[in-house]
Amino acid sequence: MDPLLYGLDLVVFIGIFGIVALSLNLEFGFAGLANFGKVAFFLIGAYTYALLSQIGIPFSLCLIAGALISALFGLFVALPTLRLRLDYLAISVLAFGEILRLIVKSESWIAGGDWGISVAPAISIAGASPRVGVLVNIGLVYFCLLICFVIAQLLTNSPYGRVVRAIREDEIAAEALGKDRAKYKAQIFMIGSAMAGVAGGLYVQYLHYVLPGMFMPMVTFTVWIMVLLGGPANNWGALLGAVLVELFKYGTNLAKPILPIDPVNLQYILFGALIILVLFYRPQGLLKESPIKTKALELARYGRTVAKNKGS
Amino acid sequence: MTVNWAQILFNSVVTGSIYLLGAVGLTMTYGLSAFPNFAHAELITLGAYSGYLIAEQLGLGLPLAFIVAFLVSGIVGFLCYRGIFQPLAKRGATIIHLMVASIALGFILRHSIGAIWSWRPLYFTTSWPAFDLGPIRVTGLWLLLIFVAVALAFVMHLILTKTKIGKAIRATSSNPELALASGINIDRVIWITWFIGGGLAAIAGIFRAADTQIWPMTGWDIILPMFAVAILGGIGNFYGAIVAALIVGLAENIGVVALAALGLSTSYRMGIAFVILIVTLIIKPQGLAMLFRRA
Repeated sequence: MDPLLYGLDLVVFIGIFGIVALSLNLEFGFAGLANFGKVAFFLIGAYTYALLSQIGIPFSLCLIAGALISALFGLFVALPTLRLRLDYLAISVLAFGEILRLIVKSESWIAGGDWGISVAPAISIAGASPRVGVLVNIGLVYFCLLICFVIAQLLTNSPYGRVVRAIREDEIAAEALGKDRAKYKAQIFMIGSAMAGVAGGLYVQYLHYVLPGMFMPMVTFTVWIMVLLGGPANNWGALLGAVLVELFKYGTNLAKPILPIDPVNLQYILFGALIILVLFYRPQGLLKESPIKTKALELARYGRTVAKNKGS
Repeated sequence: MTVNWAQILFNSVVTGSIYLLGAVGLTMTYGLSAFPNFAHAELITLGAYSGYLIAEQLGLGLPLAFIVAFLVSGIVGFLCYRGIFQPLAKRGATIIHLMVASIALGFILRHSIGAIWSWRPLYFTTSWPAFDLGPIRVTGLWLLLIFVAVALAFVMHLILTKTKIGKAIRATSSNPELALASGINIDRVIWITWFIGGGLAAIAGIFRAADTQIWPMTGWDIILPMFAVAILGGIGNFYGAIVAALIVGLAENIGVVALAALGLSTSYRMGIAFVILIVTLIIKPQGLAMLFRRA
């Protein structure tokens, strides 16, 4: 295979999973929500894209529709459990993902059941070489990633983001200050689900097909590794995690001929070990939580520096 | 289409028995250690493969397979807690960290099993006599399964109410600080619970494998009904789990008939457990626990 194409392929996947990692980081890193069913919203975006693009709707609308439908489902799943303990949300969202996969697998009238269907690429240029095709995809994916990153940065560095972090740290204290914790959590969950939906659409239009086997629970936990490794509550950390995990996956696939055991088994054994090591020795991830940036804090810091300089 | 209700009732007890054996460890460790151990599914799978190794690959017979599988999964369950979850909790890991660690551990176990035995499904070759009891078709395997589940319920009841360790388990589950202050060795109580829970998961795994097939997802395939049992029964509540296992078993078997009547795929039986799970969480998150004294 063309080695350059292989490298560009990696760049596309980093972009797509970077979006998913950003969305999980919003939910888990900033809001403290354990979304163990991320793949469900990835799936909704993917199937929405596949079905709508089939009837000739332009790709940008397909992606937006995927985001909206994902967000609605996010609200629907999260609502019953947001006021309960954290573990209930994790269990019910995980279950939701498994049921969704079961539905698209059993109902072959939706999108071909187990065999899936083919999906048209978002942008196709007549007569272009595969390299150009991948480059166009890189442009599209990184444009979406940029939008998601800007949204995530603006959200988390705003007064809104500070409330969300406060709820993560102490729900009761935040509630006592008049912040409706369930409302904030539901909103964050919807935004996270919408981003995952966009990523799902980008994923299937790049691969040109969609089938239920692409949405195993492993996908969710690959994204968890990205966020835990890179650094929860740090958007740059989520991206760093996406780069490292995708590089690792490509590395083991490349090393396939010289490995004694099946690379897929090896990958997940090592992923599992990696998560446990990170939780033991660096639970804050590679990059620490980004400090809160506000005008007031900056002024205070400036004032302190001035006072110190005058004193010395 | 005529429906054989006696058969459905019997099948429900069979299904419920597997879920009970599988879920006891899940709900008890959930109650004691305050986080759901997702790797419990892999203890079921590991038990099934250990049993397969003894009974089929080494040809040493089913009774020894049950004993070895119980010990293997029990010891691995204990080691998971002692080696990973307990030290993590001592380092101040949150419940989310513990849940993620249990998923990670599940990956390690599941894919190690996949690397050793491959992902091809395997089958137990022991053949069981099948006969009719009135309108009900039964097999020796199912009767043995029901017998084991009933015996387990009885023995667990005796242990929980009559023995020192059983009382210690109940005390630790309802109020760990008070149990510690009363001189109960909490660590030992939790270790024993993880061991027994893992061992029972292995028994469930062998029955499930002998009844259907065995592959690295054997345990994961029934993780949803087991969570439904644990939450409907009330987390950490053994008596609640018995009733909940029967309810989930009944709902699944009636549900399959209903699905077939509606012309839907019967693979949705897993969805029934999901519905029970969500409805319980919406209506009564503490489950059936209030019907029983804490155990």
